[in-house]
This record gives sequence, structure tokens and C-alpha cells, in this order.
Amino acid sequence: MSPRLRLVLFALACLVTLPAVIGIALNMPAFGAHPMPYGDAINAAAPRERHVSNMVSAINFDYRGFDTLGEEFMLLCAVTGTVVLLRGSRGEALEARPGIVPGRKMPPRSDAVVLIARLFAPLTMLFGVYVALHAMTTPGGGFQGGVIAASAALLIFLGEGYRGWRGVVKSPMLDVLEGGGATLYALCGFASMALGAPYLTNFLPLGTFKDVWSGGLMLVENAGVACAVAGSFALVFLEFMEETRTKKAEEGQ
Amino acid sequence: MSALIAALLLLLAGTGTGVVLTRNPRRQVLALSANGLVLAVLFMALQAPDVAFAEITVGAAAVPLLFLVVLASVKMDRSPRAPDPS
Repeated sequence: MSPRLRLVLFALACLVTLPAVIGIALNMPAFGAHPMPYGDAINAAAPRERHVSNMVSAINFDYRGFDTLGEEFMLLCAVTGTVVLLRGSRGEALEARPGIVPGRKMPPRSDAVVLIARLFAPLTMLFGVYVALHAMTTPGGGFQGGVIAASAALLIFLGEGYRGWRGVVKSPMLDVLEGGGATLYALCGFASMALGAPYLTNFLPLGTFKDVWSGGLMLVENAGVACAVAGSFALVFLEFMEETRTKKAEEGQ
Repeated sequence: MSALIAALLLLLAGTGTGVVLTRNPRRQVLALSANGLVLAVLFMALQAPDVAFAEITVGAAAVPLLFLVVLASVKMDRSPRAPDPS
């Protein structure tokens, strides 16, 4: 398709869709308007029914907990697929050398990068754990905390280099975190069923409002999600970073 | 709409256009990261810290990193030192 034909097609598509787009845009609620009865209902009900002050967590882990189970296993499947595709020829060995791109110099790590990474890796990890732990009271939760923790593990790579990073962040450990977290979430539901309640019914004591340990079963589910997400993201980072190493066959050269 | 949100929306449109108009893939990754950063700040300004957290970690850091690794890996495979039939 020539560029001119593409432009003509684009103009035609614009002509066809523009009236509809303008019509919808003019009929949208005003910016910041609040026609959301469901949100208001949750805001009113969740503190009373579930004793938590972070409504997003209340929705994610309780009111639509089964949806989150689906998301959890979606992530698990996506990461497993990626790992199955990428695990193999490259970078498995700790001493695998960095891959070489012709014509690009390989400068040593600068002291500034090492210093910043060493300072911020533990702090970022701590922040990730904090965000995950306070899922029931403040914004954030298992997913956000897990991703922050995984990026903290990546800061070790920036600070210590590939070998030092691989020495600390072990692939089997991440596998267990990922699968174990997802399993923990699923088991929470079966625990409810064992007590004769529907799947994922919140049967644990709910605790006091605005307390870190409020929310009952949501706390366990949140821990599962935090482990699974931290494991998944760290595992994806690891498998991708392995691809920047030389292949096994080349190492003899 | 406050001036802050208006400014952030403009900045978002600017960085988004930057992503589209950048032709060099490596620069485009950085443009994408900048776009994610602005988006995260906008979510923060709109009082959605939950989404802002996810956006800043996934959109501004994780996805650009994966793209950078892919670009490096593709470059390596094209080098004459890696004749790999498979």
C-alpha cells in the first residue's frame, strides 16, 4: 500500500467516524462529574461491612474476589508462557559474558549509578513491602507493592552487575513465589468452601477500621497477590535480561 | 478543571505525540517512558494513587526496560559474531 493510498484511506475513515466521535464527545458527562452510584455505594458500604478504608482493595479482594483470581491466573499463564519461550540457550550460567553489539562501546558502570542503586535498592524494597502491607488502609496493595519489590530486585542489577544480581535473585525462588502466591489465593477460596460458605467468602475476623490488620481473609489474599506479582515481574525481568548475554555456543570463543 | 490538570493533559498530549513522531526505536522507548511518567503524575493529580502506582512501575519502568532488552537482543543477533542457524 503506497503512502498516498494510506493517507486517502485515513481521510476516508476520519470522515466516516468523525460525526460519531463528535456526537459522543458532546454527550459525555462533564470533566470530573460524578455519575457513579456504584462507587458511592461501595464507599458507604465497605467501611461498615469489611472494616477497610481502601475501597479498591475491598473491591479487588472481596466484592469481586473471583475476578481477581482470574486476573491472578492470567498473569501466571502469561509469565509461564514467556518463561517457557525464553528459558534456554542464553545467560543461564552466572559467568555468561555480556552480549556484544558491533560498534557500540561497553563503558564500565559509573560510581554514581552504583551508589544510587545501592542506596535505593533496599529503600525501594522496603517501600514495596510497605505498600503491599498497607493494602487495606492506604492506596496501593499487593499488585503495586509486588511490582515495586520486583523493580527493587532489578536495582541490584544496576548496582552490582549481572553476576552479583544473579547471585542474589535466584530463578527457583521466584518460581516458588509466583506459583505459591497464586495457589495461596486459590486456597483462600477453598478454605471458605471447607467451612460451608461460598467460594472466597470472608470468614476471618475483620479487625478494626483503619488498622493495618483489618479486612480478614483479604489480608491473606493480598499477601498471595503480592508474592505472585513480585515473583512474576522479577522472573520476567530475569528471563529478559538473560537475553542480553552471549549464547552458550559462543562462550568458548 | 484546575490549571495543574490542564497543564498535565497538555504535557500528556505533547509526550504522546513525541512517542508517535520519534523514529529511532531506542529514543522511542525513552519517549514512551516519559509519556508513562506524565500519565502517572496525571493519575496522581486526579486522586487515583492506586493507578498511578501501577502506571509508574509498569508503564514508566518495566515496559520500557523490556523494550530496551529486546532492542539490544535484536542488535546482538544481527552481529556477524553470532551466526546461529536456529
